[in-house]
Amino acid sequence: MNRRASTYALPFFLALTFAFFCVFAPRFATSANLENLMAGYAFVAIVAIGQSFPILLKGIDLSIGAIVALAGIVTLDLSLIFHWPGLAVIPAVLVVAALAGAVNGLLIVYLRLQPFIATLATLAAYRGLVFLISGRQLFPELSTTPITDPWIVALDTYFDIGSALGVSDFIQLPGLPLSFVILVVLLIGFQVLLLATRFGRDLYAVGGNHEAARLAGIRTRRVTILAYTISGTCAGVAALLLVARLTTSTEALGNGMELTAISAAVIGGVSLQGGVGTAWGPVLGAFLLGVVLIGLTLLGVTQFVQQILTGAILLAAVCQSRLIAARQQRRTDAALVAGG
Amino acid sequence: MDSSTPVIEARGLSKVYGSVTALADADFRVMPGEVRALVGANGAGKSTLIKILTGAIAPTSGTVTVNAEPAALGSPTEMIRRGVACIYQHSNLAPAMTVLDNIFLGRQPTRRFGFLDRKRQREMARALLDLHGIQLDLDAVVSTLPTVKQKEVEIMKALALDARVLLMDEPTGWLSASEVAKLHDTIRALKTRGVGIVYISHMLDEIYAVCDTMTIMRDGRIVAQSAVSEMPRPRMVELMVGEKLARDASDAAHLQRKPHGSGEVRLRCTRLSRLGAFTDVSFELHAGEILCITGLIGAKRTELVQAIFGSHPFDEGTMELNGARVKFRSPGEAMAHGVGFVPEDRHREGLMLGLSVTENLIMTTLDRCRRGPALLRKRIEQVSRDAIRALNVRPADGRLAVRQLSGGNQQKVLLGKWLNLGPGVLMLDEPTVGVDVGAKAEIYSILRAERDKGTAILVVSSDLEEVMTIADRIAIMVSGRMVSVQSANELTMADIVREIGRKAA
Amino acid sequence: MNANHVATVGGERVARLVSSNALLVVIVAIGLVFSLVQPAFLTAENLVGIVRQVSMIGIMALAMTFVIMTGGVDLSIGPVLALSGLVAVFALDADHPLPVVLAAALGVGLLIGLVNGVVIAAFDLPPILVTLSMLSIVRGTALLLGGPEMHSIRGQPGYSFIGTGSILGIPFSVYLFGAIAALMLVVQRQTTFGLLVAALGDNERAAFLSGHNTRLTKAVLYALSGVCAALAGIIQSSQVHTGAATYGEFGIELDVIAAVVLGGTSLMGGNGSVARTLLGVLFLGVMNNGMNILDVPIDIQLIAKGVIIALALALSEFRQGHGGR
Repeated sequence: MNRRASTYALPFFLALTFAFFCVFAPRFATSANLENLMAGYAFVAIVAIGQSFPILLKGIDLSIGAIVALAGIVTLDLSLIFHWPGLAVIPAVLVVAALAGAVNGLLIVYLRLQPFIATLATLAAYRGLVFLISGRQLFPELSTTPITDPWIVALDTYFDIGSALGVSDFIQLPGLPLSFVILVVLLIGFQVLLLATRFGRDLYAVGGNHEAARLAGIRTRRVTILAYTISGTCAGVAALLLVARLTTSTEALGNGMELTAISAAVIGGVSLQGGVGTAWGPVLGAFLLGVVLIGLTLLGVTQFVQQILTGAILLAAVCQSRLIAARQQRRTDAALVAGG
Repeated sequence: MDSSTPVIEARGLSKVYGSVTALADADFRVMPGEVRALVGANGAGKSTLIKILTGAIAPTSGTVTVNAEPAALGSPTEMIRRGVACIYQHSNLAPAMTVLDNIFLGRQPTRRFGFLDRKRQREMARALLDLHGIQLDLDAVVSTLPTVKQKEVEIMKALALDARVLLMDEPTGWLSASEVAKLHDTIRALKTRGVGIVYISHMLDEIYAVCDTMTIMRDGRIVAQSAVSEMPRPRMVELMVGEKLARDASDAAHLQRKPHGSGEVRLRCTRLSRLGAFTDVSFELHAGEILCITGLIGAKRTELVQAIFGSHPFDEGTMELNGARVKFRSPGEAMAHGVGFVPEDRHREGLMLGLSVTENLIMTTLDRCRRGPALLRKRIEQVSRDAIRALNVRPADGRLAVRQLSGGNQQKVLLGKWLNLGPGVLMLDEPTVGVDVGAKAEIYSILRAERDKGTAILVVSSDLEEVMTIADRIAIMVSGRMVSVQSANELTMADIVREIGRKAA
Repeated sequence: MNANHVATVGGERVARLVSSNALLVVIVAIGLVFSLVQPAFLTAENLVGIVRQVSMIGIMALAMTFVIMTGGVDLSIGPVLALSGLVAVFALDADHPLPVVLAAALGVGLLIGLVNGVVIAAFDLPPILVTLSMLSIVRGTALLLGGPEMHSIRGQPGYSFIGTGSILGIPFSVYLFGAIAALMLVVQRQTTFGLLVAALGDNERAAFLSGHNTRLTKAVLYALSGVCAALAGIIQSSQVHTGAATYGEFGIELDVIAAVVLGGTSLMGGNGSVARTLLGVLFLGVMNNGMNILDVPIDIQLIAKGVIIALALALSEFRQGHGGR
């Protein structure tokens, strides 16, 4: 029963904070701001979804920010140096990102490295690779050349749902960013994957009890590699959206994003112990962070205090999940007494 | 498949590791619907045999056939495919997933593209449960279930794989008396379906209650196989332990008892209770006596001593140590008052396996081995040497990492660490689990020596042989209540068994 | 006993010797390779320079060894480094005497470390997440205190000596590093605290049941990590004559952790050795320095670093899994 309650805690809290800022923060409840929120945090949410797959397996992906940078720089290079059409660039970038993630999986499975270490190593390696292949380093003039390929630029469109619904005379609805739509599609897709496919069951099994999963015949190696591949691919999607928004890419893209992604995932209820989590949790977690940070900015709270609060929110989320686990344990103990 | 074909048959199994023979020339057979007990002291070769049968290791020689077809050895997936399932002591379930998903772990039925076919899965599960008459809430999350239910899920999981033979390794470890009875009913139901069961256990009562046949192992060999009804218990113990040792032990025991306890009351517990553990426990422990608290595992004896020791304090009741009211809230506090506790699981709770013998031995008496922040090397070496000699720890090298010692020697180190404290009250929880016969005898004489020095000793033990061997007085706990405390001379093993069995809910 | 047999036995012994001192061998080997290609590598000046370069990371890695031994990790050291440097700068500006300045800066590290330790130990929360949130909180506090700009230190010969001064040709920071290393070695091998940490790391439950206050010990470890980060912050700000809330940028904690793990300490907790961490630090220093001397571009350096760390760890995993101890 309490599982129900904790499932609704996060959406409730998100709604509460959202309402709070609508009331107290000037210009929060404007369409421009909501657009900003959706577009600005859609890619954080996508990376957070990706990060939850390794965490589900009791692992972690520290290189996810570096993969974003890698994917971004590949986008830049392919568009501005090799002049590939966007239609070719997009799948190519996704493949690169997926491979980068797969490498993590391979290191963990075949070299038997701890996920922390493996992704630490790839973090360094990919950041280095980014500098090596960066078009901006090779051709400095490219750092000021925007990417203008229509397919890529299109990733940054906003849908005027106000007119589509015919209500633009009464209320100004925020434009719906494509990135948000992509996020929702990915969210639904991954949630279905987790809940309604055998692969999803296998993921939870490997994360919950690796040895039991192995003995049950689950191909744990394959599951692990796929999980990290998913993480990498999500980073690639986020990179494309970011590059579209910025019309360029830098070597510092995604710097520190892994920590935000981990925070969002943990706030979203993905357990570091493995075997517990959803796709929508991290999304809510990411938007909670977004709402809080944007709201505070509009309230005039300095960025620095925001950083403090971000840390505090993460700490609160961790404490809450600990409390839930403790209460769960007590209930199991009581059941033990009753059954014995 | 007719009932004269063994579900599993092993011929001539041997396993040699370098110069050590773990298993020699074992012939083992289980018929459909047969419950065969596999007994033997630790180190007798049981686990090697099991590991070969489950495919975890390959034998050095010998064959295994399942349903008269030879099986490829050394492959767990192969054995599972052939219908050999093992239910281990530790959980083989994904704790955060539902019963339904665990039963079909890794094999949930799917439609196209890997999408789960929930309807069919549920139907299959229902059918399985109905077939075997088991009640389980398919949507319950496994970690919220009591242990016996979790065991049932494991059994269902094995049966879902069409297991023809189930190996159960110490299946009643964490079960209460009533839960054991339920498990035995499940086993009987499985029998009627032609499933063969190998019941690996130390619990003699259970073996005589539910098994048809038994296989006794000692020193890597099978020393006897017979119907349970044709094997009287004393003979069984003799075979397990080796005849002479058993007789010597029981002769010596009677001579060694001090049934009236020599000294004053050192520890007095009055109406101790802890929610979810034990209720209304009262007893006295005298200096110079060994009090054994026995019962089936699940009687919450460990919880009781943990409460006395302070690692998990009691809620209600009073405790007096040497006449003074005390309640320990941490092990450190208890130790400061001269109370020591040798925990049950030496690997998880007792020893630091990666540290040396010496370091483990001084772990409780660091304060005597230091000046300020610094360790006094010379004194530490001395303490270690003395302890190793007194306990006959082999190899007699304090620098070895504890994990390199045999189970019996590890237990001696664990004991030594607590004896070093010089406690007035020493509590031990299952002190000879996984210890070879020789070390067992040594530990018993060490305990007797301590008792004779005046130490008050409390031993929690499920091993009735052990209880009869070393106890001066015997207390029986059932489901968290202490139901009797008597002098050992007034009880026979049969009495104890009856007492435990009677009060089961 | 034929020649083959002798050779094999001899070979086995060499192999065992090599594998148990693998890191040292690798360091020497890499050092030799570098010096062959670029003789300037082997000069006293360069070698001292290596140690100076790694002093800060080294000091933090020493404390991190203990933290990782108990199965934890401290991700907040970067911001702590920055904050304590900043506090030192402000204290200097306020004309406080040097001992007070140092005490304040170190005190900041101690305080933050204690908060980490208490929260982790008392509430049994995962260290990675607690220190991750502290990372944000401390960074934000530092920025709040000092803004994103640099604050320079002017005319403070005493303070500047810490980072830039030298005695007998060897930089003072190297002496500091050496002193801390020696202290940690002694603590680990000769004190009850060191034994407690080893016991905690090996089996926390058993340590608790042996009457030890495991929570206090853990909290102290994180406090130690904080103090060492603060010391590194002092050295840093002294070296560049500036304090800034942005120092200790993201990545530094990963370098420190890499050094500890390269030294063979497992992230899962358990055996760990200050001496081996020193080797890990040295290894990183030799690699960085060698690659710089060889003019390897920074991007290749990063890639090489990643690859080498991965390989080194895979080797040690392999060794542990196959009978090594």
